[in-house]
Amino acid sequence: MVKKILSSKSPVKILEKSISGGLGPGNLGVFASRKGVGKTACLVQIALNRLIDGQSIIHVSYASRVDYIIAWYEEMFKNLASRENLSRLMEIHDEIIRRRVIMNFRQEGMKTEQVLKGLEALLVQGNFPAKTIIIDGFNFYLPAAGDLQLFKKFALDRQLEFWFSCSLRGNDPLFDQQGLPFVLKDYLDSFDIIFTLENEHDRVKVNLVKDHNQLSLKKLNLELDPQTLLLAKA
Amino acid sequence: MNSTLSNTLSRMRNIGISAHIDSGKTTLTERILYYCKKIHRMHEVKAKEGGGATMDFMELERERGITISSATTNVSWNDHSINIIDTPGHVDFTIEVERSLRVLDGAILVLCSVGGVQSQTLTVDKQLKRYKVPVLAFINKLDRIGANPFKVKEQVVDKLGRQAALMQIPIGLEDKLEGVIDLVSFKAIYFDGPNGETIREEEIPVELLDQARHYREELLDIVSLTSDELAEVILEDKVAPGILHKAIRQATIRREFTPVFIGSAYHNKGVQPLLDGVVNYLPHPGEVENIALDLDRNQLPVALPADPDLPCVAYAFKLEEGPYGQLTYIRIYQGSLKKGDELFNTRSRQKFKVGRLVRMHADHMEDITGAIAGDIIALFGVDFASGDTICSNGLNYTLTSIYVPDPVISLAIEPVDKISSDRMSRALSRFTKEDPTFRTYLDPESRQTIIQGMGELHLDVYIERMKREYRVEVVSGQPQVAYREAITARADFDYVHKKQTGGAGQFARVSGYLEPFEGSYEFINEVKSGHIPREFIPSCDKGFQASLKKGQLIGSPIIGVRVVLTDGQFHPVDSSDLAFQLAAQGAFKQVYKKARPQLLEPIMKVAVETPSEFSGSVFGSLNQRRGIIISSVETGLYSTIEAEVPLSEMFGYSTVLRSMTQGKAEYTMEFLKYARVPQNLADDLMEKHRQQIEEEKK
Repeated sequence: MVKKILSSKSPVKILEKSISGGLGPGNLGVFASRKGVGKTACLVQIALNRLIDGQSIIHVSYASRVDYIIAWYEEMFKNLASRENLSRLMEIHDEIIRRRVIMNFRQEGMKTEQVLKGLEALLVQGNFPAKTIIIDGFNFYLPAAGDLQLFKKFALDRQLEFWFSCSLRGNDPLFDQQGLPFVLKDYLDSFDIIFTLENEHDRVKVNLVKDHNQLSLKKLNLELDPQTLLLAKA
Repeated sequence: MNSTLSNTLSRMRNIGISAHIDSGKTTLTERILYYCKKIHRMHEVKAKEGGGATMDFMELERERGITISSATTNVSWNDHSINIIDTPGHVDFTIEVERSLRVLDGAILVLCSVGGVQSQTLTVDKQLKRYKVPVLAFINKLDRIGANPFKVKEQVVDKLGRQAALMQIPIGLEDKLEGVIDLVSFKAIYFDGPNGETIREEEIPVELLDQARHYREELLDIVSLTSDELAEVILEDKVAPGILHKAIRQATIRREFTPVFIGSAYHNKGVQPLLDGVVNYLPHPGEVENIALDLDRNQLPVALPADPDLPCVAYAFKLEEGPYGQLTYIRIYQGSLKKGDELFNTRSRQKFKVGRLVRMHADHMEDITGAIAGDIIALFGVDFASGDTICSNGLNYTLTSIYVPDPVISLAIEPVDKISSDRMSRALSRFTKEDPTFRTYLDPESRQTIIQGMGELHLDVYIERMKREYRVEVVSGQPQVAYREAITARADFDYVHKKQTGGAGQFARVSGYLEPFEGSYEFINEVKSGHIPREFIPSCDKGFQASLKKGQLIGSPIIGVRVVLTDGQFHPVDSSDLAFQLAAQGAFKQVYKKARPQLLEPIMKVAVETPSEFSGSVFGSLNQRRGIIISSVETGLYSTIEAEVPLSEMFGYSTVLRSMTQGKAEYTMEFLKYARVPQNLADDLMEKHRQQIEEEKK
């Protein structure tokens, strides 16, 4: 029951509706924005939604410490639970921990092959049934076309969905006229879904820039709650 | 305090050396002893012949190449007296580490320049922080392939969350390691002679000047954040070494900064500057605040100034039985102590006379006549338990007791013959005095001796020690996990205990309810208008507590119960203490199943460090053991995998891990929490328990 209530109300579901039902296996999606706007919050919410639905996820981080990522999950879960008035909290919480693995690749210049090898070890030998992989902190400012092709192939072969965060930096403008981040232009083929987060009058709005085969800017009726960073209807 | 004494105090250091296993801690300790001219020949850990390093004086430790006991060794360096407390590295012996930390004023945290911050570094770092110990870091093994002290320093900042900066940078690395550049004096230091005992100071090689300037800037930047005085002179560009020394010392003692030294103990490089660092930057006993609780004043905290003229307060932190009898290591916090003094043990409430006093060196001891506040010495011929506080007559203080976790594993042991049996009880009584996490009792049903501890290795070590030190041969059973039972629902009880057997009868009635409780046990009395006379309320409490010792599921202790007593009845003649105790027990027995009890098992936090190529097998092995994988951190060639695994699944894991990874992986574990046993396994356990009981009946 609890799961159902949460899922039907969840703004994450609204987000997924906006992209024809979701990212889908074999596909790569990305949230792009400047640092500190709310990419990780979005990724963690997608992950939490999957977890509460009873699925498993792997959260890959390139930079942050494990305890820092765990703190993100705890905080977002707490906020979500209090907004949705969840009962049996501890039980759901324990279940979530069971189905989430955080992988951290810390060395600078860690090769994508090595990251995928680590993922494969966990998925195959570790028998961990994740279908959604979160990739936080990947650097798109180094040549990444080859890496993204590897991710894409891995996603297709194993029927996984990958959600990335893309941290934008440098001087304005960061986006072209269609709202597409310049830095992602080289990787358009690899990504099926591109969201951007934009600060507008102190609210963080969610824009859909690429929806599977369609490339056009769509301002969604979603924003991040400034207090909780939860996705909410605008 | 007169000036000679304060002079003595300021020249005293009590330090520990903490590390992850295999960071080279023992080699470092041994080199320190050598340079302090206490031993004449250096030997290596795991030496093929001629014994191991000096600190590991127990044979068993020699064999395993790890350090189990915290021996205290006194050395001199630059007119300073340094007590080195060698802390054990393995998590299974954490209580020993913690007890040692209690008496330290400072510590050297040893890191491997290849492995960097490893799982256990995090554990010992946490302990150092818990006991507020100022720390110097030493990045060891610069000679190893892949050594990168810069990366490891970053990890100290990142992973340990310390404000840290390099005090030195290397001249060459791996097999090209020649020496270090001291960033304070801004000189190159080389270590000449067959054992690196001759220090040669030179100008910094030109090709390293830029790098040295860069890291000196970094050092100044970080330290100046803690010192206005230093910040000012930096602005004026007049940084004299004296000011920098002082700022580093103050910041280190306030635990706002961690100086990072580097070297290779094995290759005799960098040890003497580290010793200078101990003297220069770690506090003397007078600079550390120590608190005791006054038992006469409702445990009011009182400060213990390191003043030798005040009454004596000391703490027994370690017992050891040697060939001449029991040796008790103590740290004096206040006052002084000499032969013939009469002192008082505040736990046992017993007076005793100070007999023989000794100062311990790694392999021999020196008789002394007295010692003052700040010092660590050993006493002969006193009967203490570790953790005892001793005071001059008139004082009744206790030093805050160390947190002692409950044991999670038990093992039945049986001596092979009568002689062994006598010796075994002697051995056990001493081990339990030395180590509060090691316990033992006689199981009244099976008549077997049960030993309990914090892990498989923990118990193994004691069995080995019995064999070696007491020549006791024992047969041991399968290790048993310490299960618990806990209730999950509220249940009401109303129970009458009534007995008429001629003479005086027994009568008592209790009613109320049980409910789940966060802690271990709570008793609440809500009986109104004297339905149970006040003198019988503690009898009820006692009765309930007696019921908690054995649950009905598998006979394990019950935790997490609140008993609320709301009503009852008594008889003016037939009610008694015993009647109410029995009523409470009867009530508990009757209602327990209604409170939906479940089985809990200890869950361990397991950290496996493995070459990344084997991480798949490790994931698989943890998964098979009902483990929850929490995280996997990959740094280059190595992965650290953290998981929560039931203790019952971890037996024999070290063998499995070794064979799976060609001996290249290692793991540590510590108790995390109790969690519910899955239903199918709980059913098995209960079935087994039933069968056992039936068998006993036959």
